[in-house]
Amino acid sequence: MDFLLRLEQSGFATWVREGGTIWGYPFILFCHTLGLGTLAGVNGSIDLRILGFAPQLPLAPLKRFFPLLWGAFAVTAASGTALLVADATTKLASPVFYVKMVFVALAIANLQLLKTHVFGNPRLDEQNLPGSARLLAVTSLLFWIAATTAGRLMAYLGPVSGLK
Amino acid sequence: MNTPHVHLLLNHVPTVGTIIAVALLILSFIRKNDGLRRVSLELFCVIALVTLPAYLSGLGTALQFEQRPDVVKAIMDRHHDAAVFGSIFMVLTGGAAWLCLWQQRRLGRSKAGMIGTVLVLSVVTVAAMARTANLGGEIRHPEILLDPDAAAAATAEVAPSFLSAAAIAKFVTGHTWVWPTMEAVHFIGLWLLFGVVVLVNLRMLGMMKSASFAAVHRLLPWAVLGLGVNLTTGMMFVLGAPGQYLENIAFFWKMGLLLLAGLDVLYLTVFDAPWAVGAGDEAPPLEKAMAASALVMWVGVMYFGRMLPFIGNAF
Repeated sequence: MDFLLRLEQSGFATWVREGGTIWGYPFILFCHTLGLGTLAGVNGSIDLRILGFAPQLPLAPLKRFFPLLWGAFAVTAASGTALLVADATTKLASPVFYVKMVFVALAIANLQLLKTHVFGNPRLDEQNLPGSARLLAVTSLLFWIAATTAGRLMAYLGPVSGLK
Repeated sequence: MNTPHVHLLLNHVPTVGTIIAVALLILSFIRKNDGLRRVSLELFCVIALVTLPAYLSGLGTALQFEQRPDVVKAIMDRHHDAAVFGSIFMVLTGGAAWLCLWQQRRLGRSKAGMIGTVLVLSVVTVAAMARTANLGGEIRHPEILLDPDAAAAATAEVAPSFLSAAAIAKFVTGHTWVWPTMEAVHFIGLWLLFGVVVLVNLRMLGMMKSASFAAVHRLLPWAVLGLGVNLTTGMMFVLGAPGQYLENIAFFWKMGLLLLAGLDVLYLTVFDAPWAVGAGDEAPPLEKAMAASALVMWVGVMYFGRMLPFIGNAF
């Protein structure tokens, strides 16, 4: 706790929280939303395609979106870390935060599995997708829904600091 | 130009506009004219979008007028209830009309059931909007009232009671679980909508040229579903805490950009230029500019949404 308190009172954390500028807490929060919107959203679109929607859309070119997804993950993780540091003692005491982290980890592992198991197949568009691909698409959607819900509930459930 | 002025200008779009669009739709059946039908469906989509600022400016006006001695609050509340009901049906009509247009692109024609749905919804909308307009007129036009006292004392319901503005506001603010749940749903709707929009527009910008625009367009109903979810949850927030949004400059920008971005979704479905982009084709510069600006607008909607508690009046 002592360490968390020192973290929270560090110069950077204090600037994020109390800087009073739009480029501190508000803008970092926006980056977090933009990152999650891109990551969960584009991943969700790929899941829907795997589940059979928009069947004429070839799967192979969707591989091109993976660098965008990893980039969005980097933005979300970096902004999330800044938001966490600014509010460390409260957020790390919240069970909802750990629930969120579990689902984010599951969703990211799921994305990596989609990449190797589904998109790793060089003849992706010539064969029928295996049932496991559909299962991965469903779990991916569920993990992102759960992660988003837990993330949003952090502002309401458990210890809440007043930072939105 | 102030909020009441904006409301007085925009309120004619859903009232008069819907009547014209329904007339065009019925005329398209009589004359068996597909072009006419498309125009009426497109009109419904545009009117549904404009209904958003028409409604919100009305709510803003109500906030300003609440304390005025020359306005009967009871009449204003009934006008509001009728407006909520009419706006719900207007947005449903717009959504169904967009699905018809999407089906035309996919199947070459819209399904009869879908067109029928639009017709039924739009007739309900015309009736609800006429009622809304009439009650709105009573607020400031005593000359149209035969018995002003009776109008002020009227209690007959203008909409199902669970859909009244007061009932929705009470539901949203009366239970501690509703607001957080709506927030979670609003964010899931956000990424569902944004993900598809990113995919479609990045295709136009050249990200996966081997896919035709037509193939990517098939995903668009998911974006419209996300939009519907967020309009629903968003309106619940607004009804729950009107002052928090309507007196906030960030909300004004969010809605303005949402309107433009919504028009872009319609553009992608009804204009032929994006549809000419086949598998392997590079999109023309104008389409790329449209796609880039659409992405900027959606990011802007998200930016001003996230800034609601920080710019303007803080929550």
